[in-house]
Amino acid sequence: MRRLTARQRLAAIVLVVVAACFVTLDVAGSGLDDAHGGVRGALGALYRGTDGALGPARRFVQGLPAAGSNEDKIAQLRKENAALRARLAVDGADARTKAALAKLHLAAGGYRVLPARAIAVGPGQGFDWTLSLDVGSSDGVRAGQTVTDGVALVGRVLHTSATSCVVLLAADPGSGVGARDTRNGQLGVATGHGPHGYTFVPLDPDTALQVGDTVQTGPAGRSTYTPGLAIGTITAVHTAAGAVTADVRTAAPPTALDLVGVILAPTPDIASAR
Amino acid sequence: MTAARLAAALAAMLTALLLQATLVGPVTMSAQLSLPAVLVAAVALQSGAGTGMSLGFATGLVADLGSAHPAGVLAACWLAVGVLCGLIVATGRPFLAQVVLIGVVCSVAGSVATLLLTALGSSGATVDGAARALLPSTLGDVALALVVVPAVRWFLRSGALRAPSARHG
Repeated sequence: MRRLTARQRLAAIVLVVVAACFVTLDVAGSGLDDAHGGVRGALGALYRGTDGALGPARRFVQGLPAAGSNEDKIAQLRKENAALRARLAVDGADARTKAALAKLHLAAGGYRVLPARAIAVGPGQGFDWTLSLDVGSSDGVRAGQTVTDGVALVGRVLHTSATSCVVLLAADPGSGVGARDTRNGQLGVATGHGPHGYTFVPLDPDTALQVGDTVQTGPAGRSTYTPGLAIGTITAVHTAAGAVTADVRTAAPPTALDLVGVILAPTPDIASAR
Repeated sequence: MTAARLAAALAAMLTALLLQATLVGPVTMSAQLSLPAVLVAAVALQSGAGTGMSLGFATGLVADLGSAHPAGVLAACWLAVGVLCGLIVATGRPFLAQVVLIGVVCSVAGSVATLLLTALGSSGATVDGAARALLPSTLGDVALALVVVPAVRWFLRSGALRAPSARHG
């Protein structure tokens, strides 16, 4: 086995001490915020350029796992669409239902959403659960804004530069999302588990959860997200020591994210109704 | 260190980081592969522990500053990748053994980084995640090394990028 020379040993020790200083500075305070911001901004601009060249190839590779099942999926969606249209026609006769549907439509579509494209993940290794988008502060994006794929929750904006932003995915392990079971209205917290979705823990331990229940963002929890976005579907319910928890399959798989929307603000209609 | 080698190192570092963020990372999101770490290992294999250590630290620091986690973690881990691959892997082993060892070293370095980030309370890193990612990231890093090691070897043996000592001796 080869050995380091005395000079190389000294250099290695110095570099490890420098790395430890960086870690201390970053963990203890905001001493490296400007350095982080500068590198993120520069890399963000480069990601935009690189995505122009590599994006089509990446999207092709990402679409391969679903290629076989797309035909079945389209047929199933067509069938569901026809059934929903039939139901809508029946409901249309009922004035009260019509009013409720109009109200629901307003709630679902009442936000100003900025379309964006996912251009990169973190430059290091896959443990960050972040996504870079091709929109930034010059487009009106601010830290803390919710990101959606149109129906489901994707995450929230963590950092912005002029032309790009970094989004922390809601499925990030350890992140908590205030959630609501749409069947019984029970509130709880959905904790991210990366590729495995979420664990939903209702605030009331006696809540009866069922497989197939859908969970959406609600007002409870540590993070503030726009309410009413789908988080996922319950796939298993566990009861241990009197507390009930549920596994939730995410409605927005992080590996399939491409076009997303940053919710900039409620429209005037929604804002005045609050 | 010649100007051509320095420019080549900067270009390789930037290319690896951009490809990691825009192609390798999104496609293999849960496997935690790392193209920059494999590049550092391949360069250390060819040019020795000193060069591997410098490239590992610089590449790791840029990746740290461009990420959401505290800076310095990947710099220290990829520095270790450079040293280990320069000292242990590059000792006259057959190509396939070198590639497998690179995969193992890079994957263990990734898991150590995850454990360090867990200890620092960084969002996204868990002990469970570090353990789960070990096997898929080893296999993925071996696959990357099969391409990266011959490419780096070819570049570093070209006239302009050969180490000064190798050219004179």
